[in-house]
Amino acid sequence: MPLNIDWQQILLHWMNLAILTGGLYFLLYKPVREFMDKREEHYRQLDREAADKLAQAEQVKAEYQAKLDGAEEEVRQMKARSQQSVQKSAEEQLAQAQNQARQIIAHAQAEAEHSRERVLKESQRELRKLAAQATKKLAFHADPFDQFLDLAEEEEEYEE
Amino acid sequence: MKHRKMGLVLWIAVVLALLAGALLVGSAGRTESVQEAMRDAVLHNINQISLFGMKAVNPGLISAFLVTAALLLAATLIRLLAVPRFQYRPGKLQLVLEEVVGLFDGMARSSSPHRFRFVGAYIFAAGSFIFVGTLFELLGLQAITVHGHPITLPAPLSDVNAAIALGTLSYLVILSGGVAANGIKGVGKTLKEFSLPISMSFRLFGALLSGLLVTELVYYYVNLSFVLPVIVGVLFTLLHALIQTYVLTMLTSLYYGEVSERSEPKKKKVRTAQI
Repeated sequence: MPLNIDWQQILLHWMNLAILTGGLYFLLYKPVREFMDKREEHYRQLDREAADKLAQAEQVKAEYQAKLDGAEEEVRQMKARSQQSVQKSAEEQLAQAQNQARQIIAHAQAEAEHSRERVLKESQRELRKLAAQATKKLAFHADPFDQFLDLAEEEEEYEE
Repeated sequence: MKHRKMGLVLWIAVVLALLAGALLVGSAGRTESVQEAMRDAVLHNINQISLFGMKAVNPGLISAFLVTAALLLAATLIRLLAVPRFQYRPGKLQLVLEEVVGLFDGMARSSSPHRFRFVGAYIFAAGSFIFVGTLFELLGLQAITVHGHPITLPAPLSDVNAAIALGTLSYLVILSGGVAANGIKGVGKTLKEFSLPISMSFRLFGALLSGLLVTELVYYYVNLSFVLPVIVGVLFTLLHALIQTYVLTMLTSLYYGEVSERSEPKKKKVRTAQI
């Protein structure tokens, strides 16, 4: 054969390469590859766990945020209700006070009216009484001028 | 400072003395001319070695067996001593091993993403063989020929039989990928690249042989055996090892990926009725 090509030696080389390929595969390539895969799976698992935990944390955060938003809304509503209640109470108290004031005023007016009527009646009665006394005196005494003078004298004597 | 100068002078004196000794003593005499040495480096038809007394074979075959034995021994030791101690945070040796395995595995995955397990294992073995086999010639291991002369064992792939074996085996691996993925169509796809085994084989053979011839030439003359071998022997061999490893493994994985890609069934043309 040209170039000293020898098929027997080529077959021996093939056999040698087959042994080498099989040997290196089972002794080195496969175990190292498996270890690398195992480590990759380990870190992928860690990554998945971290992602799961992150998702859980996000979910909890969202829940708390929702709760917080709900609480804020509740507080706002309570505050509004409280303000409404306070305002209503103040209005009621104001109305009550105004009512009381009106009542007091009405009562005072009525009382004042009553007092005025009573005083007027008493004055009228007194006037009638005085008129009656005067009439009586006029009817039973001769000269009123003398009476007047007598009275004046009596008063002067009394003063002295 | 004075001690330094003394040391330097002593070192130069020792080097010069050894050089003078080598030139004066000379060699034991040449068993072959440079033409014969170069011709034998290509053809290996003179300096053959006996394979366990059964047959005289090229020294490249012995080198191939030794390289395989060394690789399997190293792999066994690593499997027994290092792999069980692998940790998620790798040490230096683990890092190197993972880098090498990951390099070939990544090459297989990127070139043949649909079918990469087998080709990854094959290019790992082929790459290791080419790289270590090429560096093997740096060791300068001696062997005795059937004629009783000592020779230095060459790189396995400087033997044309080894290069043909690796080239054709790579082609068969590619063919197997095509058959496994596409059946008969895969055979057709692979046979389209009929020049591949020849080009692969002779690319390897030529690259390794050229290095061998230059090295043979340099070492043949004792006057060229100073300083020059550091560049020719070591740097060129290292470059050869890296380049040839990369070229063959890359080509194999690329062609494997190409032929093992599943071809989509052709869509039948739907004829629309014309009114």
